[in-house]
Amino acid sequence: MLAPDDLAEHERAAVETELRTLADDQFVAAERYIDWQVRGPTLEADIAVANIAQDEYGHARLWYDLLERLGYEEAELLWERPPDAFRHATLLELDYAPGDWADCVLRGYLYDTFEKLHLESLEGTSYPPIADRLEKVQGEEAYHREHTQSWLDRLTEGGEVPAAPREGGEAARNASDEPVRRLQAALDRLYPHALTLFEPTEAEQSILETGVRTRSLADLREDWLAVTTPFLEGLGLTVPEPSLPDVRGRDGSHTDDWESLYDELTYTYELLGREPAKLMAPPDEVEG
Amino acid sequence: MDIEEVKRRAGPREFGPGDDMPREYREAATRMIQFHANSEIMGALIERPFIRQAPSLERKLAVSAQVQDEIGHGQLLYRAAEQLGVKTREEMLDELADGRGKFLNCFHYPLHSWYELPMIMFFVDGAAMRRQASLKRTSWEPYAHAIDKICFEEGFHIKHGEDILREIATGSKRDQELLQAAFERWWPRILQFFGPTDDQSTHGGFAQSVGLKTMSNDDLRNAFLNAYLPKAEKYGLEIPEYPRVEYDAERDHYEIENDDLDWDEFGEVARNEFPTGREQIEARARRQEAVEWVREAITDDEADAGVTGAAAD
Amino acid sequence: MRFEVFRQEQRKDYHVHVGDVHAPNAELATQYAQVMHARRKPANSLWVVPKEEIATVDSDELGVEMGGTTQKEYRWATNYETGEMAEEIEESQREQEAATEARDASEGD
Repeated sequence: MLAPDDLAEHERAAVETELRTLADDQFVAAERYIDWQVRGPTLEADIAVANIAQDEYGHARLWYDLLERLGYEEAELLWERPPDAFRHATLLELDYAPGDWADCVLRGYLYDTFEKLHLESLEGTSYPPIADRLEKVQGEEAYHREHTQSWLDRLTEGGEVPAAPREGGEAARNASDEPVRRLQAALDRLYPHALTLFEPTEAEQSILETGVRTRSLADLREDWLAVTTPFLEGLGLTVPEPSLPDVRGRDGSHTDDWESLYDELTYTYELLGREPAKLMAPPDEVEG
Repeated sequence: MDIEEVKRRAGPREFGPGDDMPREYREAATRMIQFHANSEIMGALIERPFIRQAPSLERKLAVSAQVQDEIGHGQLLYRAAEQLGVKTREEMLDELADGRGKFLNCFHYPLHSWYELPMIMFFVDGAAMRRQASLKRTSWEPYAHAIDKICFEEGFHIKHGEDILREIATGSKRDQELLQAAFERWWPRILQFFGPTDDQSTHGGFAQSVGLKTMSNDDLRNAFLNAYLPKAEKYGLEIPEYPRVEYDAERDHYEIENDDLDWDEFGEVARNEFPTGREQIEARARRQEAVEWVREAITDDEADAGVTGAAAD
Repeated sequence: MRFEVFRQEQRKDYHVHVGDVHAPNAELATQYAQVMHARRKPANSLWVVPKEEIATVDSDELGVEMGGTTQKEYRWATNYETGEMAEEIEESQREQEAATEARDASEGD
């Protein structure tokens, strides 16, 4: 087992990079969820999405806190950090058109399914502080998955659900059924970026060798494809051929959407020039 | 029940969906509760950009939770109004979108920066809490019930607002100057929050006679000033000379020079004709229009339409 | 669709009506109910029921008091004078007295 106060250089790099990936994914996911507040299709959906956003910020907080325990301050981790030092997948930073609820639920599904596999691969981690916090996170993520799946089921209920996947996606893209058409459009746009969830950082080898994570991102990708492909096809959607976008996210290359988002979210921080306020006691930690 | 009996019986939580209330009562109550529900939604709208802009992770959580609560309060209030049998939730939300739905004056004005946020989150929300506390004794039970939950949840809103105020007020000289400027811009609007003085208020008289409203505008404003003027001073804010607010120690009462306030502007705001207020209404309407396809996709043929509540046949 | 929400605070409590949610189906209704009625104060269980499935009876519809109009004192321990009672009988009587007081107080309004 790795000890937080006694990490060798390469162990530290592995732990920190994995934590940053976890935290950045959750943080940016939350940022796009909050866009939906006061814009949800119903009051109830609005409230539910806000709940998910707060959970995701809460999870990000747990992982950033572990980094703070390794000597970093919140400002270094978020507000003063250059945008190209962030490790989140590009799926999470993408902007979307007003009213594109299909994007919200589909993006949520793609990410939540990844996150489940990702967290499971950390259950046997050699870094106890990560293990200690998993259960809390996994519990809330289960609700997120239920929510997105319920929505996907409901939106595709009205249309025909084919027994076998359609050829070339023509049918789904031209469906007179608006929800299916929109979901297909969102899937076409988001899918390449979803694949960046599995792009390795430069520390991937170390992360596996030190046991911080027990399965490689490449392996997680196989599992993810095995779950998401039949599910999406079962909804009447056509899963695009795998291809990656030009930017990869985890290597620090991001879309222009991230630049804009980053500028917006650091604006007031820059204006005030103060240390980021903490409002709560630090997360509990079980010593071990 | 006729209106005389209503006036006779009017008291805290006296009437509910099982009672056959006269039309005048039901319309007055609907108007009041609808205004309140609309205000929750439009308040949430004005605050929401500051979730993205919050300068710390934990402040993001708090602002997101506040905005979420406000939508939740809207949900409770529309339901309490629906039970009067005059309008459905859908009708009230449509009215908000097309500019007929009325809401609090303060939410017709833009919030330009974080420095202005405490004006809404502390002072305006604080004023709202004062009014809400008095509504625990309203005569329409479902409204009082919704108020219970709202009061339970809202304490943290004002306290977080105060914390934001404190942080700015204890900052640099520039921070303090910007804060003072924001305060001066918002102060007259905050004073107008409780509406015109009692003798100029259109609906207030009836609402009080049937127990819907339990405190007069003037009394509410006084209670608010009693609690919040000392707070303003605590954070180094200077109360502007105009509009004139004089404390009469003998009567323990704040006298406001009403002519110092712009009631023409207030009227424009109240009719949803003030330019920035119109922008807010339209911005929300556009976003709601954009998700109309979702509502259409999930609505069954038989469901959701029609009037509910006591008057439904 | 509209669903009424019933909330059970702790195991073995009764479910109490706490509000409603608008949702396309029961699945989403239970999820919304969790966020809206069990987030700050955790509940043990929630029921959601489609509003149109709820059948009601209201006392003013009936035109007559629920529970009957002829004398029913024979059902009340307080009706009987029998001297000393076992503890549990006394408790039952106290509970009935409290219920009667409460009912008299609300009728007096």
